[in-house]
Amino acid sequence: MVALVIALALFFDFTNGFHDTANAMATPIATGAIKPKTAVALAAVLNLVGAFLSTEVAKTISGGLIREGSDGIHITPDIIFAGLMGAVLWNMITWLKGLPSSSSHALFGGLIGAAVVGIGFHSINFETVLQKVILPAIFAPLIAGLVAYICTRLAYALTSRHDPETGDKLTQKRGGFRTGQIFTSSLVALAHGTNDAQKTMGIITLVLIAGGTQAPGSGPQFWVIAACAFAIAIGTYAGGWRIIRTMGSGLTEVKPAQGFSAETSTASAILASSHLGFALSTTQVASGSVIGSGLGRKGTSVRWGTAGKIALGWLFTLPASAIVGALTALLVSIGVVGVVIAAVVGTAAVLFMFVVSRRSHVGHHNAVEVEEAGHAVRFRKKKKSRKTTQSEDVQR
Amino acid sequence: MKWLELLQVAGVTLLAAVTLVVLYSLGVRLTAIAGDARQKSPAVVRSLAYVCFAFCGAAVLFGIYLIVPYFGK
Repeated sequence: MVALVIALALFFDFTNGFHDTANAMATPIATGAIKPKTAVALAAVLNLVGAFLSTEVAKTISGGLIREGSDGIHITPDIIFAGLMGAVLWNMITWLKGLPSSSSHALFGGLIGAAVVGIGFHSINFETVLQKVILPAIFAPLIAGLVAYICTRLAYALTSRHDPETGDKLTQKRGGFRTGQIFTSSLVALAHGTNDAQKTMGIITLVLIAGGTQAPGSGPQFWVIAACAFAIAIGTYAGGWRIIRTMGSGLTEVKPAQGFSAETSTASAILASSHLGFALSTTQVASGSVIGSGLGRKGTSVRWGTAGKIALGWLFTLPASAIVGALTALLVSIGVVGVVIAAVVGTAAVLFMFVVSRRSHVGHHNAVEVEEAGHAVRFRKKKKSRKTTQSEDVQR
Repeated sequence: MKWLELLQVAGVTLLAAVTLVVLYSLGVRLTAIAGDARQKSPAVVRSLAYVCFAFCGAAVLFGIYLIVPYFGK
C-alpha cells in the first residue's frame, strides 16, 4: 500500500509539473523571449534546483488540515491514496480543458473528501480549511494582480520617452524587457520548485510516518526529495501546452514589459508567501499577475470570458477532487479488492484522457500562435501591431 | 485569522516586485538614452544602465539568499 501511494504521489508530482509549466513559461513564450522547447527545458532544470533549495514548505504541508495525532485519529495510507487519486484525476481533467487550476487545491480537496468518508466530518478542521484554502484563493489573485498592475504602470511610465520639443516618441527599447523575461520567468520556475515539489514531499513523508517507517515530526528524507524533484522536473519538461496556450494568449495580449512585470510579481508573491507562512497557490498567483499586467497597459483588453472560465474552474477544484477522493475512499474501505479496482479505474481514466487529448493535439508548435505574430510584428512598423489588436477586438 | 501575515505577504510582494521592476525599467530607459544619436556620452549612460541591471540582479540574489535556509543558519 505504501509503495502504491508513493507511486501515485510521484505521478501527482508529475501532473503538477506539467500543469504548472504554464505559470512560469507562458508569458515568455507568448512574447517570444524564449523558444518554447528551450523554455520548458529551462523550467524543468530550475524546478529541479528549486526543489532542492528549500524544504521548509514540505514540513508544514497538510499539517492541521486534518486533525491528527492526540485525538486518536490517524491518517492512514488508504486515505492519502484516495486523496491523491482525486487530485490526479482533477489535474488531468483541467489539463484536458486547458484550465490553469491549482494543483494544491486539488490535493487539499482530495484529502478532505477522502478524510470525510474514511474518518468522518469531525476529522476536518474547517477553520484551517478557510484559512489555508479559501481565503488564499480569494487573495492570491488579488494581491498578485494589484502588484502586477502597479509594476506594469511603473514599467511603462519609466520607459516612455517623448521629445521635449516636438513631442514625438523617442526610441524606448522596450524589447530590452524580453531579455529580462528570461530571468524573471526562471525565477518563477525556481519558486515553483521550492513551493510545489514540496507538497509531494510532504505527502510522501506523511505516508512514511503513517506507515511507521519514519519517525513522526521528522523532515523529508533525501531519496524522497530527489524523487520528487525529478518527478516535477520531468512533468515540467513534458509541458502542459494546453494550459500555456490559455495563459499565454487566452487571457490578454502580452508584451515584454508586461510579461516582465507579471513574472516579477508572480515570483515575489510565491516566494514571499511560502516563506512567511501564508501559502498562496502558484497557479492563482500567476493568473492574477497576467490579468493585472493586462489591465496595467493602455490599449490591452483582458478577455474576461476566459478569466471567468478559469475562476469557475477554481470554484470546482476543491469540491470535484473532494468527490473523487471520497469515492476512492469508499472503494478502498472495502479492502484489497477495492484498492485494486480504484487503481485500475484511475489508470484507465488517466489513459482515456490521454487518448482524448491526442485527438486535438496541442504541442509546442501550436501552443501560442501569438509567438509567430510577435516575430512578425517586431520587424514591422508600429501600426501593424495596433491593427492586429483591433482585429482581435472585432473578432471577440 | 492570519490577517497580519496576509498583509505582510502583500507588502513584501509589492516591495520586491516594485524594486525589481523600477531598477530594470531604469536600466531599459538608460539603454534607450544611450542609443540616441544626439547623446554626447553614450558610454557613461550605458554603464549607468548596466549598474541598474546589476543592482536588479543583486536584489534577486539577495532575495534567494534570504529564502534558502542553508544560508540562514
